Amino acid sequence: MVKKDGETINMKDKKIKQFVREGYARIANRDSSCCSTACCGGTDLTAGISKEIGYTEEELNAVPESANLGLGCGNPIAHASLREGEAVLDLGSGAGIDCFIAANKVGKNGKVIGVDMTPEMIAKARENAKKGNYGNVEFRLGELENLPVGNDSVDKVISNCVINLTPDKGRVFREAFRVLKPGGKLMVSDIVLLKALPDSIKNSIDAYIGCISGAIMRDRYIELMKEAGFHEVEIIDESSFPIECMANDPTATALIANLKIPLEKVNEVTSSIRSIKVQGLKPEETT
Amino acid sequence: MKRELMEILACPMCKGDLELSVEEEEDEKGEIVKGSLYCRKCEQRYPIEEGIPNLLPPELRQESE
Repeated sequence: MVKKDGETINMKDKKIKQFVREGYARIANRDSSCCSTACCGGTDLTAGISKEIGYTEEELNAVPESANLGLGCGNPIAHASLREGEAVLDLGSGAGIDCFIAANKVGKNGKVIGVDMTPEMIAKARENAKKGNYGNVEFRLGELENLPVGNDSVDKVISNCVINLTPDKGRVFREAFRVLKPGGKLMVSDIVLLKALPDSIKNSIDAYIGCISGAIMRDRYIELMKEAGFHEVEIIDESSFPIECMANDPTATALIANLKIPLEKVNEVTSSIRSIKVQGLKPEETT
Repeated sequence: MKRELMEILACPMCKGDLELSVEEEEDEKGEIVKGSLYCRKCEQRYPIEEGIPNLLPPELRQESE
């Protein structure tokens, strides 16, 4: 992002952040899944979509159902090669699904810390931790751009469809790099773009579907990871963003209807939205 | 939050160590239910409520209160 006017951008960033918190607070307060403001479909679809984006049935069955709000866009743990005893940090932990799956993998001697900036989500996650009797998972309120975690302190950092919501992605990657132990790995599932969204869509959807309007170009995403210091940055999986995630989103459909965007334009936009799994390593010796 | 997590926690602003004050603790599990984390350098106190440390930067923390 070119910062022409620091202050204006800062105000915009603050607004985005406020919107994201409010939006996700509403989602957290809903009894069951799922969301109209975020990137997924209705209640019945949650489990189906979760499987489609890479969770195994076994993983889903092993965690409290209410931990899965269907807000992810992949399963970052599937490729994170978590080992017994490791410390894992989940950026934007939401209701906790990825934390609980990770907790099952790292076992009693490991620990998982979920950070989220939405108090309602953290409260829900903690409830779920109690329900599932997870002794090795902790949640805290925190901001991804200012992680409340010490340097070189965790083995793996995971994140699922969250970094796209943050206004300053470079800073989030720098923070992830900082808290990882040398040799540690960042494993992210996220939404990126192949083509910039048309302004009309970007601006109008801006306030509604944070997860798409906040997404940046794929190449820029990779570049920001490298700039943060990550080595061996690699996209290990890429797919089109499940259309049903958008088609079933009432806000999106209403918006599209109101804006009278022709269907081909909608298709053009959706085909440029990609879901990626990307990893990066913090080298053993940082230079 | 658990006491043992202190080793991973840091002040979100200066990344320095935090000092723990406990007001309420569940004995059996060593879970801190209420208290605070203090950063001497930033002179900031981060509350722990219902077991959850609020480590949002001061600006965001005030908004959520």
